[in-house]
Amino acid sequence: MTSLAEAAQQRRLLAGRANQWRRMGDPERSGERFRTVVLPHLADALALARWLTGSRTDAEDVVQEACIRALAGIDGYDGRNARAWVLAIVRNTSFTWLAKHRPKSLVVVGDMAAIDELTQRHTDPTAHRLTPEAELIRKADALAVEAAIGALPHPLREVLVLRDVTGLSYKEIAQMLAIPMGTVMSRLARARAELAATLAEVP
Amino acid sequence: MAGPADAFDDELLLNALADGELDAATALALERRLAADPGLAAAYDRICAVRERVAGASRPEVGRDFEARMAQLGGPVTARTQGTAGGVGVFAGWRRMAAAVVVTALLAGGLTHVLEVAPSGLSLDDAVAASHRRGLLATSPVDIASSDRHTVKPWLDAKLGISPPATDLASQGYPLVGGRVEVLGADTVPTLVYRHNEHLITLLAAPGAKGDRLPATGTAGGYNIVRWSAGGFSFWAVSDLEPAELNTFVSDYRGK
Repeated sequence: MTSLAEAAQQRRLLAGRANQWRRMGDPERSGERFRTVVLPHLADALALARWLTGSRTDAEDVVQEACIRALAGIDGYDGRNARAWVLAIVRNTSFTWLAKHRPKSLVVVGDMAAIDELTQRHTDPTAHRLTPEAELIRKADALAVEAAIGALPHPLREVLVLRDVTGLSYKEIAQMLAIPMGTVMSRLARARAELAATLAEVP
Repeated sequence: MAGPADAFDDELLLNALADGELDAATALALERRLAADPGLAAAYDRICAVRERVAGASRPEVGRDFEARMAQLGGPVTARTQGTAGGVGVFAGWRRMAAAVVVTALLAGGLTHVLEVAPSGLSLDDAVAASHRRGLLATSPVDIASSDRHTVKPWLDAKLGISPPATDLASQGYPLVGGRVEVLGADTVPTLVYRHNEHLITLLAAPGAKGDRLPATGTAGGYNIVRWSAGGFSFWAVSDLEPAELNTFVSDYRGK
Protein backbone atom coordinates (compact mmCIF):
# COMPACT_ATOMS: atom_id res chain seq x y z
CA MET A 1 0.00 0.00 0.00
CA THR A 2 1.37 3.42 -0.86
CA SER A 3 1.80 6.02 1.82
CA LEU A 4 -0.81 8.24 0.15
CA ALA A 5 -3.40 5.49 0.28
CA GLU A 6 -2.45 4.87 3.91
CA ALA A 7 -2.92 8.53 4.70
CA ALA A 8 -6.35 8.42 3.05
CA GLN A 9 -7.26 5.42 5.15
CA GLN A 10 -6.06 7.21 8.26
CA ARG A 11 -8.30 10.16 7.44
CA ARG A 12 -11.30 7.86 7.00
CA LEU A 13 -10.54 6.25 10.34
CA LEU A 14 -10.28 9.65 12.00
CA ALA A 15 -13.58 10.71 10.48
CA GLY A 16 -15.22 7.61 11.88
CA ARG A 17 -13.98 8.22 15.42
CA ALA A 18 -16.89 10.36 16.48
CA ASN A 19 -19.27 7.53 15.59
CA GLN A 20 -17.14 4.91 17.31
CA TRP A 21 -17.32 7.03 20.42
CA ARG A 22 -21.05 6.55 20.72
CA ARG A 23 -21.03 2.76 20.37
CA MET A 24 -21.69 1.01 23.66
CA GLY A 25 -20.07 -2.20 24.86
CA ASP A 26 -17.67 -2.28 21.92
CA PRO A 27 -14.15 -3.34 23.00
CA GLU A 28 -12.60 -0.70 20.79
CA ARG A 29 -14.78 1.96 22.38
CA SER A 30 -14.00 0.64 25.87
CA GLY A 31 -10.30 0.83 25.06
CA GLU A 32 -10.65 4.41 23.87
CA ARG A 33 -12.72 5.39 26.89
CA PHE A 34 -10.17 3.72 29.17
CA ARG A 35 -7.42 5.83 27.63
CA THR A 36 -9.43 9.03 27.94
CA VAL A 37 -10.56 8.42 31.52
CA VAL A 38 -7.55 6.67 33.08
CA LEU A 39 -4.39 7.87 31.32
CA PRO A 40 -4.68 11.54 32.39
CA HIS A 41 -4.46 10.35 36.01
CA LEU A 42 -1.44 8.04 35.67
CA ALA A 43 0.83 10.48 37.50
CA ASP A 44 -1.50 10.69 40.50
CA ALA A 45 -2.04 6.93 40.37
CA LEU A 46 1.71 6.30 40.48
CA ALA A 47 2.22 8.82 43.29
CA LEU A 48 -0.50 7.21 45.40
CA ALA A 49 0.79 3.69 44.73
CA ARG A 50 4.36 4.80 45.46
CA TRP A 51 3.40 6.07 48.93
CA LEU A 52 1.14 3.14 49.70
CA THR A 53 3.64 0.47 48.66
CA GLY A 54 6.79 2.37 49.65
CA SER A 55 8.61 1.83 46.36
CA ARG A 56 8.55 3.19 42.84
CA THR A 57 9.01 -0.23 41.23
CA ASP A 58 6.15 -1.72 43.21
CA ALA A 59 4.07 1.33 42.30
CA GLU A 60 4.31 0.51 38.58
CA ASP A 61 3.22 -3.08 39.24
CA VAL A 62 0.25 -1.89 41.27
CA VAL A 63 -0.78 0.76 38.73
CA GLN A 64 -0.53 -1.74 35.89
CA GLU A 65 -2.79 -4.12 37.81
CA ALA A 66 -5.15 -1.22 38.59
CA CYS A 67 -5.27 -0.24 34.90
CA ILE A 68 -6.28 -3.78 33.99
CA ARG A 69 -9.05 -3.62 36.59
CA ALA A 70 -10.12 -0.16 35.36
CA LEU A 71 -10.34 -1.40 31.78
CA ALA A 72 -12.47 -4.34 32.89
CA GLY A 73 -14.77 -2.00 34.80
CA ILE A 74 -14.86 0.94 32.39
CA ASP A 75 -18.36 0.14 31.10
CA GLY A 76 -19.71 0.46 34.63
CA TYR A 77 -18.02 3.80 35.29
CA ASP A 78 -20.65 6.53 35.63
CA GLY A 79 -18.60 9.31 34.07
CA ARG A 80 -18.28 11.41 37.21
CA ASN A 81 -15.03 12.38 38.92
CA ALA A 82 -12.60 10.28 36.89
CA ARG A 83 -9.67 10.99 39.22
CA ALA A 84 -11.45 9.75 42.34
CA TRP A 85 -12.66 6.69 40.43
CA VAL A 86 -9.14 5.84 39.19
CA LEU A 87 -7.53 6.49 42.58
CA ALA A 88 -10.11 4.30 44.35
CA ILE A 89 -9.11 1.43 42.07
CA VAL A 90 -5.42 2.11 42.70
CA ARG A 91 -6.04 2.21 46.44
CA ASN A 92 -7.94 -1.08 46.44
CA THR A 93 -5.36 -2.70 44.20
CA SER A 94 -2.56 -1.49 46.50
CA PHE A 95 -4.39 -3.02 49.42
CA THR A 96 -4.69 -6.49 47.90
CA TRP A 97 -1.15 -6.22 46.53
CA LEU A 98 0.23 -5.33 49.96
CA ALA A 99 -1.78 -8.08 51.63
CA LYS A 100 -0.17 -10.54 49.24
CA HIS A 101 3.41 -9.21 49.08
CA ARG A 102 3.96 -7.10 52.22
CA PRO A 103 1.42 -8.31 54.79
CA LYS A 104 3.43 -6.84 57.67
CA SER A 105 3.08 -3.29 56.33
CA LEU A 106 -0.69 -3.32 56.75
CA VAL A 107 -2.19 -2.30 60.05
CA VAL A 108 -5.63 -3.81 60.50
CA VAL A 109 -8.47 -1.65 61.75
CA GLY A 110 -8.31 -3.21 65.23
CA ASP A 111 -4.94 -1.57 65.73
CA MET A 112 -6.33 1.92 65.28
CA ALA A 113 -6.81 2.31 69.03
CA ALA A 114 -3.09 1.78 69.49
CA ILE A 115 -2.37 4.37 66.82
CA ASP A 116 -4.69 6.83 68.52
CA GLU A 117 -2.78 6.36 71.75
CA LEU A 118 0.54 6.63 69.99
CA THR A 119 -0.28 9.97 68.42
CA GLN A 120 -2.33 11.51 71.21
CA ARG A 121 0.78 12.99 72.76
CA HIS A 122 1.32 15.26 69.75
CA THR A 123 -2.08 16.84 69.80
CA ASP A 124 -1.60 19.27 72.68
CA PRO A 125 -1.14 22.67 71.04
CA THR A 126 0.56 24.09 74.14
CA ALA A 127 3.50 21.78 73.43
CA HIS A 128 4.30 23.79 70.31
CA ARG A 129 4.61 27.19 71.88
CA LEU A 130 8.22 27.06 72.86
CA THR A 131 9.87 25.83 69.67
CA PRO A 132 9.68 27.37 66.21
CA GLU A 133 8.60 23.99 64.89
CA ALA A 134 7.24 25.22 61.58
CA GLU A 135 10.68 26.63 60.80
CA LEU A 136 12.36 23.28 61.47
CA ILE A 137 9.74 21.46 59.40
CA ARG A 138 10.22 23.78 56.44
CA LYS A 139 13.99 23.29 56.61
CA ALA A 140 13.91 19.52 57.09
CA ASP A 141 15.80 17.41 54.57
CA ALA A 142 13.64 16.10 51.70
CA LEU A 143 14.76 12.54 52.39
CA ALA A 144 13.76 12.94 56.02
CA VAL A 145 10.30 14.05 54.88
CA GLU A 146 9.95 11.00 52.65
CA ALA A 147 11.17 8.67 55.39
CA ALA A 148 8.73 10.21 57.87
CA ILE A 149 5.79 9.74 55.50
CA GLY A 150 6.88 6.16 54.86
CA ALA A 151 7.07 5.47 58.60
CA LEU A 152 3.45 6.46 59.24
CA PRO A 153 0.99 3.65 60.01
CA HIS A 154 -0.82 2.63 56.84
CA PRO A 155 -4.30 4.07 57.66
CA LEU A 156 -2.80 7.48 58.48
CA ARG A 157 -0.46 7.51 55.48
CA GLU A 158 -3.31 6.60 53.13
CA VAL A 159 -5.45 9.57 54.15
CA LEU A 160 -2.48 11.96 54.18
CA VAL A 161 -1.37 10.98 50.66
CA LEU A 162 -4.89 11.07 49.22
CA ARG A 163 -5.28 14.60 50.59
CA ASP A 164 -1.86 16.19 50.17
CA VAL A 165 -0.30 14.32 47.25
CA THR A 166 -3.32 13.60 45.05
CA GLY A 167 -5.42 16.51 46.32
CA LEU A 168 -8.75 14.77 47.00
CA SER A 169 -11.31 16.51 49.19
CA TYR A 170 -12.34 15.20 52.62
CA LYS A 171 -15.64 14.08 51.15
CA GLU A 172 -14.00 12.19 48.30
CA ILE A 173 -11.64 10.44 50.72
CA ALA A 174 -14.51 9.52 53.07
CA GLN A 175 -16.44 8.03 50.16
CA MET A 176 -13.44 6.16 48.81
CA LEU A 177 -12.47 4.59 52.14
CA ALA A 178 -16.09 4.19 53.30
CA ILE A 179 -15.33 5.92 56.61
CA PRO A 180 -17.05 8.92 58.24
CA MET A 181 -15.74 12.38 57.40
CA GLY A 182 -14.78 12.85 61.08
CA THR A 183 -12.50 9.84 60.84
CA VAL A 184 -10.84 11.29 57.74
CA MET A 185 -10.26 14.52 59.66
CA SER A 186 -8.84 12.85 62.76
CA ARG A 187 -6.57 10.53 60.78
CA LEU A 188 -5.30 13.46 58.72
CA ALA A 189 -4.69 15.57 61.83
CA ARG A 190 -2.86 12.69 63.47
CA ALA A 191 -0.77 11.97 60.40
CA ARG A 192 0.32 15.60 60.20
CA ALA A 193 0.95 15.83 63.94
CA GLU A 194 3.10 12.71 63.74
CA LEU A 195 5.11 14.16 60.84
CA ALA A 196 5.48 17.50 62.62
CA ALA A 197 6.82 15.77 65.72
CA THR A 198 9.30 13.70 63.69
CA LEU A 199 10.52 16.54 61.47
CA ALA A 200 10.76 19.16 64.21
CA GLU A 201 12.98 17.01 66.41
CA VAL A 202 16.24 18.83 66.94
CA PRO A 203 18.95 16.62 65.42
CA MET B 1 -7.63 26.50 79.41
CA ALA B 2 -9.18 24.13 76.89
CA GLY B 3 -9.31 20.45 77.78
CA PRO B 4 -7.62 17.74 75.70
CA ALA B 5 -10.83 16.97 73.76
CA ASP B 6 -11.27 20.65 72.82
CA ALA B 7 -7.61 20.85 71.88
CA PHE B 8 -8.02 17.95 69.48
CA ASP B 9 -11.17 19.51 68.00
CA ASP B 10 -9.16 22.68 67.42
CA GLU B 11 -6.50 20.59 65.73
CA LEU B 12 -9.12 19.15 63.35
CA LEU B 13 -10.48 22.62 62.59
CA LEU B 14 -7.01 24.02 61.94
CA ASN B 15 -6.32 21.19 59.51
CA ALA B 16 -9.65 21.77 57.77
CA LEU B 17 -8.87 25.50 57.52
CA ALA B 18 -5.50 24.73 55.92
CA ASP B 19 -7.26 22.42 53.44
CA GLY B 20 -9.91 24.98 52.54
CA GLU B 21 -12.62 22.64 53.82
CA LEU B 22 -14.32 25.02 56.26
CA ASP B 23 -17.42 26.99 55.44
CA ALA B 24 -16.99 30.76 55.41
CA ALA B 25 -18.58 31.40 58.82
CA THR B 26 -16.48 28.78 60.65
CA ALA B 27 -13.34 29.89 58.84
CA LEU B 28 -13.96 33.51 59.82
CA ALA B 29 -14.49 32.63 63.48
CA LEU B 30 -11.35 30.49 63.52
CA GLU B 31 -9.26 33.16 61.78
CA ARG B 32 -10.30 35.65 64.46
CA ARG B 33 -9.20 33.23 67.17
CA LEU B 34 -5.91 32.63 65.32
CA ALA B 35 -5.19 36.34 65.29
CA ALA B 36 -5.70 36.52 69.07
CA ASP B 37 -4.00 33.29 70.17
CA PRO B 38 -0.28 32.83 69.39
CA GLY B 39 -0.39 29.19 70.54
CA LEU B 40 -3.14 28.42 68.07
CA ALA B 41 -1.32 30.36 65.36
CA ALA B 42 1.85 28.33 65.97
CA ALA B 43 -0.12 25.09 65.68
CA TYR B 44 -1.67 26.33 62.43
CA ASP B 45 1.71 27.32 61.02
CA ARG B 46 3.06 23.89 61.91
CA ILE B 47 0.17 22.20 60.03
CA CYS B 48 0.76 24.41 56.99
CA ALA B 49 4.46 23.60 57.04
CA VAL B 50 3.78 19.84 57.10
CA ARG B 51 1.19 20.21 54.38
CA GLU B 52 3.65 22.04 52.12
CA ARG B 53 6.32 19.42 52.64
CA VAL B 54 4.03 16.47 51.89
CA ALA B 55 2.57 18.17 48.82
CA GLY B 56 6.12 18.92 47.67
CA ALA B 57 7.38 15.38 48.23
CA SER B 58 8.89 13.91 45.09
CA ARG B 59 6.47 12.14 42.79
CA PRO B 60 7.42 9.24 40.56
CA GLU B 61 7.72 10.27 36.94
CA VAL B 62 5.41 8.65 34.43
CA GLY B 63 7.91 7.02 32.08
CA ARG B 64 7.09 7.10 28.36
CA ASP B 65 7.43 3.32 28.14
CA PHE B 66 5.11 2.82 31.07
CA GLU B 67 2.52 5.23 29.69
CA ALA B 68 2.64 3.55 26.28
CA ARG B 69 2.25 0.13 27.91
CA MET B 70 -0.80 1.31 29.84
CA ALA B 71 -2.28 2.93 26.73
CA GLN B 72 -1.96 -0.38 24.89
CA LEU B 73 -3.92 -2.25 27.55
CA GLY B 74 -7.01 -0.80 25.89
CA GLY B 75 -6.05 -2.45 22.61
CA PRO B 76 -4.26 -0.91 19.64
CA VAL B 77 -4.77 2.83 19.53
CA THR B 78 -6.24 2.66 16.03
CA ALA B 79 -8.26 -0.34 14.96
CA ARG B 80 -7.79 -2.24 11.72
CA THR B 81 -4.29 -0.86 11.36
CA GLN B 82 -1.92 -2.78 9.17
CA GLY B 83 1.28 -4.02 10.67
CA THR B 84 2.83 -6.79 12.69
CA ALA B 85 2.37 -7.46 16.36
CA GLY B 86 4.53 -5.61 18.85
CA GLY B 87 4.36 -1.85 19.08
CA VAL B 88 1.44 -1.67 16.67
CA GLY B 89 -0.57 0.54 19.00
CA VAL B 90 2.14 3.11 19.54
CA PHE B 91 3.04 3.15 15.85
CA ALA B 92 -0.59 3.64 14.88
CA GLY B 93 -0.84 6.44 17.44
CA TRP B 94 2.10 8.24 15.91
CA ARG B 95 0.70 7.80 12.43
CA ARG B 96 -2.61 9.19 13.51
CA MET B 97 -0.93 12.17 15.11
CA ALA B 98 1.16 12.67 11.97
CA ALA B 99 -2.03 12.66 9.89
CA ALA B 100 -3.57 15.22 12.22
CA VAL B 101 -0.47 17.42 11.94
CA VAL B 102 -0.57 17.25 8.14
CA VAL B 103 -4.22 18.22 8.03
CA THR B 104 -3.92 21.04 10.56
CA ALA B 105 -0.89 22.31 8.64
CA LEU B 106 -3.08 22.45 5.54
CA LEU B 107 -5.68 24.37 7.49
CA ALA B 108 -3.23 26.72 9.11
CA GLY B 109 -3.10 29.21 6.27
CA GLY B 110 -6.26 30.92 7.43
CA LEU B 111 -7.16 29.67 10.85
CA THR B 112 -10.22 31.82 11.15
CA HIS B 113 -11.68 30.94 7.77
CA VAL B 114 -11.80 27.21 8.29
CA LEU B 115 -14.20 26.92 11.17
CA GLU B 116 -16.74 25.12 9.05
CA VAL B 117 -14.30 23.47 6.66
CA ALA B 118 -13.95 19.78 7.34
CA PRO B 119 -11.94 17.97 4.65
CA SER B 120 -12.28 14.20 5.03
CA GLY B 121 -14.48 14.77 8.05
CA LEU B 122 -11.64 16.31 10.04
CA SER B 123 -11.98 19.83 11.34
CA LEU B 124 -10.06 22.26 13.43
CA ASP B 125 -12.27 21.03 16.27
CA ASP B 126 -10.39 17.72 16.17
CA ALA B 127 -7.08 19.54 16.50
CA VAL B 128 -8.50 21.56 19.38
CA ALA B 129 -9.79 18.39 21.07
CA ALA B 130 -6.37 16.80 20.55
CA SER B 131 -4.67 19.75 22.24
CA HIS B 132 -7.04 19.44 25.22
CA ARG B 133 -6.25 15.74 25.44
CA ARG B 134 -2.50 16.35 25.21
CA GLY B 135 -2.92 18.78 28.10
CA LEU B 136 -4.62 16.08 30.16
CA LEU B 137 -1.95 13.49 29.32
CA ALA B 138 0.99 15.77 30.06
CA THR B 139 2.52 15.75 33.53
CA SER B 140 1.07 19.23 33.98
CA PRO B 141 -1.70 20.74 31.86
CA VAL B 142 -0.07 24.16 32.12
CA ASP B 143 3.40 25.63 31.56
CA ILE B 144 2.74 28.49 33.92
CA ALA B 145 0.69 27.40 36.92
CA SER B 146 -1.00 30.29 38.61
CA SER B 147 -4.49 31.26 39.61
CA ASP B 148 -3.42 34.91 39.36
CA ARG B 149 -4.34 36.46 36.03
CA HIS B 150 -1.68 39.10 36.63
CA THR B 151 0.89 36.29 36.41
CA VAL B 152 -0.56 34.27 33.54
CA LYS B 153 -1.27 37.14 31.12
CA PRO B 154 2.22 38.70 31.30
CA TRP B 155 3.76 35.23 30.88
CA LEU B 156 1.81 34.67 27.64
CA ASP B 157 2.60 38.22 26.52
CA ALA B 158 6.29 37.60 27.08
CA LYS B 159 6.16 34.31 25.14
CA LEU B 160 3.95 35.28 22.22
CA GLY B 161 3.52 39.03 22.40
CA ILE B 162 -0.23 38.54 22.65
CA SER B 163 -2.66 37.11 25.15
CA PRO B 164 -6.41 36.84 25.55
CA PRO B 165 -8.22 38.32 28.56
CA ALA B 166 -7.32 36.06 31.51
CA THR B 167 -10.50 36.71 33.43
CA ASP B 168 -10.57 35.30 36.94
CA LEU B 169 -13.74 33.25 37.28
CA ALA B 170 -13.00 31.62 40.65
CA SER B 171 -16.08 33.20 42.23
CA GLN B 172 -18.25 31.63 39.53
CA GLY B 173 -16.70 28.22 40.23
CA TYR B 174 -14.16 28.24 37.39
CA PRO B 175 -10.76 29.04 38.94
CA LEU B 176 -7.87 29.78 36.58
CA VAL B 177 -5.26 27.00 36.68
CA GLY B 178 -2.66 28.58 34.42
CA GLY B 179 -1.60 28.96 30.81
CA ARG B 180 0.38 27.27 28.10
CA VAL B 181 1.23 27.70 24.44
CA GLU B 182 -0.47 25.39 21.95
CA VAL B 183 0.50 24.91 18.33
CA LEU B 184 -2.36 24.66 15.86
CA GLY B 185 -0.97 24.10 12.43
CA ALA B 186 1.84 26.62 12.09
CA ASP B 187 0.39 29.07 14.60
CA THR B 188 1.26 29.40 18.24
CA VAL B 189 -1.92 29.90 20.19
CA PRO B 190 -2.10 31.34 23.70
CA THR B 191 -4.07 28.89 25.84
CA LEU B 192 -5.66 29.29 29.25
CA VAL B 193 -6.68 26.42 31.50
CA TYR B 194 -9.58 26.70 33.92
CA ARG B 195 -10.93 24.16 36.37
CA HIS B 196 -14.47 23.29 37.36
CA ASN B 197 -14.63 20.75 40.20
CA GLU B 198 -12.33 18.01 38.89
CA HIS B 199 -12.73 18.93 35.22
CA LEU B 200 -10.29 20.99 33.23
CA ILE B 201 -11.35 23.44 30.54
CA THR B 202 -8.83 24.30 27.84
CA LEU B 203 -9.45 27.71 26.32
CA LEU B 204 -7.53 28.35 23.10
CA ALA B 205 -7.49 31.89 21.75
CA ALA B 206 -6.14 32.25 18.22
CA PRO B 207 -5.43 35.87 17.31
CA GLY B 208 -6.41 37.31 13.95
CA ALA B 209 -10.20 36.87 14.01
CA LYS B 210 -12.10 39.29 11.82
CA GLY B 211 -15.43 40.26 13.28
CA ASP B 212 -17.36 38.63 16.08
CA ARG B 213 -19.20 35.33 16.04
CA LEU B 214 -21.66 34.09 18.62
CA PRO B 215 -20.81 30.87 20.47
CA ALA B 216 -21.59 27.64 18.66
CA THR B 217 -21.33 24.22 20.24
CA GLY B 218 -19.94 20.99 18.88
CA THR B 219 -18.15 17.82 19.86
CA ALA B 220 -14.86 16.30 18.79
CA GLY B 221 -12.86 13.37 20.08
CA GLY B 222 -15.42 12.82 22.81
CA TYR B 223 -15.13 16.34 24.21
CA ASN B 224 -17.60 19.18 24.11
CA ILE B 225 -16.45 22.30 22.32
CA VAL B 226 -17.79 25.84 22.21
CA ARG B 227 -16.28 28.23 19.65
CA TRP B 228 -16.79 31.90 19.15
CA SER B 229 -14.93 35.03 18.05
CA ALA B 230 -14.60 38.31 19.87
CA GLY B 231 -12.12 41.13 20.25
CA GLY B 232 -9.85 39.85 17.48
CA PHE B 233 -9.56 36.32 18.89
CA SER B 234 -11.10 33.04 17.75
CA PHE B 235 -11.88 31.13 20.93
CA TRP B 236 -12.36 27.42 21.52
CA ALA B 237 -13.41 26.15 24.93
CA VAL B 238 -12.98 22.37 25.16
CA SER B 239 -13.72 20.10 28.09
CA ASP B 240 -15.35 16.87 29.19
CA LEU B 241 -17.82 19.01 31.13
CA GLU B 242 -21.51 18.68 30.31
CA PRO B 243 -22.52 21.07 27.48
CA ALA B 244 -24.67 23.13 29.88
CA GLU B 245 -21.79 23.69 32.31
CA LEU B 246 -19.39 24.49 29.49
CA ASN B 247 -21.90 27.02 28.11
CA THR B 248 -22.14 28.62 31.55
CA PHE B 249 -18.36 28.90 31.64
CA VAL B 250 -18.34 30.51 28.18
CA SER B 251 -21.00 33.07 29.08
CA ASP B 252 -19.15 33.86 32.34
CA TYR B 253 -15.89 34.26 30.44
CA ARG B 254 -17.54 36.49 27.85
CA GLY B 255 -19.05 38.47 30.72
CA LYS B 256 -22.61 37.93 29.52
